[in-house]
Amino acid sequence: MPSPDSELSILYELIRSSFRYRELIWALALKELKLRYKRSVLGFLWALLNPALMMAVLTLVFSTILRFGIPHYAIFLLSVLLPWTFFSQSLSYAVDCVVGNGELIKKVSVPKLVFPVAAVVSNIINLLLSFVPMALLVLAMRHPFYGTWLYLPVPILALVLFTLGMTCLFATANVFYRDVSHILQVVLSAWFYFTPIIYALDFVPPRLQWLFKLNPIIYVINGFRLAIYWGQLPRWQSIAASFICGVSALFIGCAIFQRYQDKFVFYV
Amino acid sequence: MSDPRRWVTQSVVKLENVTQCFRVIQERPDSLRELFAKFFRHQVSYHDFNAIRDLSLEVPCGQMLGIIGRNGSGKSTLLKIIAGVYKPTAGQVRVEGTLAPLIELGAGFHHELTGRENILLNGLLMGYSKQDMKAREQSIIEFAEIGEFIDAPIKQYSSGMQTRLAFAVATEVDPDILIVDEILAVGDESFQQKCFARIEKFRSAGKTILFVTHNMNQVTEHCDRVILLERGSMIADGQPQEVVSSYKHLTVPDLTPA
Repeated sequence: MPSPDSELSILYELIRSSFRYRELIWALALKELKLRYKRSVLGFLWALLNPALMMAVLTLVFSTILRFGIPHYAIFLLSVLLPWTFFSQSLSYAVDCVVGNGELIKKVSVPKLVFPVAAVVSNIINLLLSFVPMALLVLAMRHPFYGTWLYLPVPILALVLFTLGMTCLFATANVFYRDVSHILQVVLSAWFYFTPIIYALDFVPPRLQWLFKLNPIIYVINGFRLAIYWGQLPRWQSIAASFICGVSALFIGCAIFQRYQDKFVFYV
Repeated sequence: MSDPRRWVTQSVVKLENVTQCFRVIQERPDSLRELFAKFFRHQVSYHDFNAIRDLSLEVPCGQMLGIIGRNGSGKSTLLKIIAGVYKPTAGQVRVEGTLAPLIELGAGFHHELTGRENILLNGLLMGYSKQDMKAREQSIIEFAEIGEFIDAPIKQYSSGMQTRLAFAVATEVDPDILIVDEILAVGDESFQQKCFARIEKFRSAGKTILFVTHNMNQVTEHCDRVILLERGSMIADGQPQEVVSSYKHLTVPDLTPA
């Protein structure tokens, strides 16, 4: 075993317990999805319908009312809105994952990392499903269906790492101060507008662009727009940047989570 | 898949000088605003409270140990330390073998899920595999006497049914160490007998059992050894009869008005 504080051991621990408890993580993730769509007539179909309806609304708004002069703006927008929605939903949902499982943590000895991991996994399922209406929209708008779609697993991986790291961070903070879950909503909406999602980075005045480039998530979601809208592959520097952001977030989040997890039981 | 648990032949619980300290914060600040307010007025007041003080305990394999004491003496804290829920403030804890904690039964149950789904989830939480749980599902359902309700969400179960299901899950998985915390107070007479019959079966199979109860008849009837806790310390350790009588001495002053 590496020493408890070494960088490797933190990620090693994450991978080890995720693998060992994979069945538990999967069961918890399915439980979440089941509960989310429970008692709704359409049930699991909502996972598909929800992004589809959102897309319909956005397409309508941006192709008829607000015109930005970007061709196929809906696709331009949705190609990064989907990963952003995954990120913000995972976070707002998982910020409570430790506190919400408090009764369990107080009674059963269970590796606590399974809760944020399961929360993110349940949202991955949603993300993957939302690419189905995305593809349909691309076809419907007669936007070229680029082969670069095949590249999507790479940005998805970086995005998941980044999201999981941020989830661990916020979930830990929320155990000690419940304000975090409220602050998070404000942070997320500010973050949304400061990220080139509804606009492109080129729209930002050049003297401010460096500021926007400090935002780690732009590297993480950049690949989605390139692959879906532009039909291009990112440069290797951009891929490297996305993974550096993802792995750093994961490392920081997990390190903090593991540092404090033994105290959770006294605060939930 | 080979099961590492099968290689454990001797299950044993060993605690060395264990202390569990809780920081009791008077009006613990639950939000940042309160924290700042109190911090600047120097009002974050707390005291440290030792729920378990410097306790050493060794339970050999196959023993049924009764843990008794008054309310707040630290019995449940001790069990939670052994179960790994609390990480003690000081001291060493060693537990060898698999452990089934029956602490507040049904802790892992989710009320919206069905009995069958809960069996799986609860088993996975205890560290068993899906395959393990599927193989045992039928006998769990039979022992718990749930019948056709097994596919209904457990929020529709009576409390007795939930307890029976939880007990069945925890004991059907064949643990090396069984932790029983006052759970047998629930359930009707016949189910209690069934539970004790199962506990006795565990005993004769050489399993280690840690048993917390306020029922002294159960203690003297079933336990090999009893320890008495008072304010987090172990004040008696020995034969059930002796320890139970010192417990009775301890509780007598409570009954007579001062």
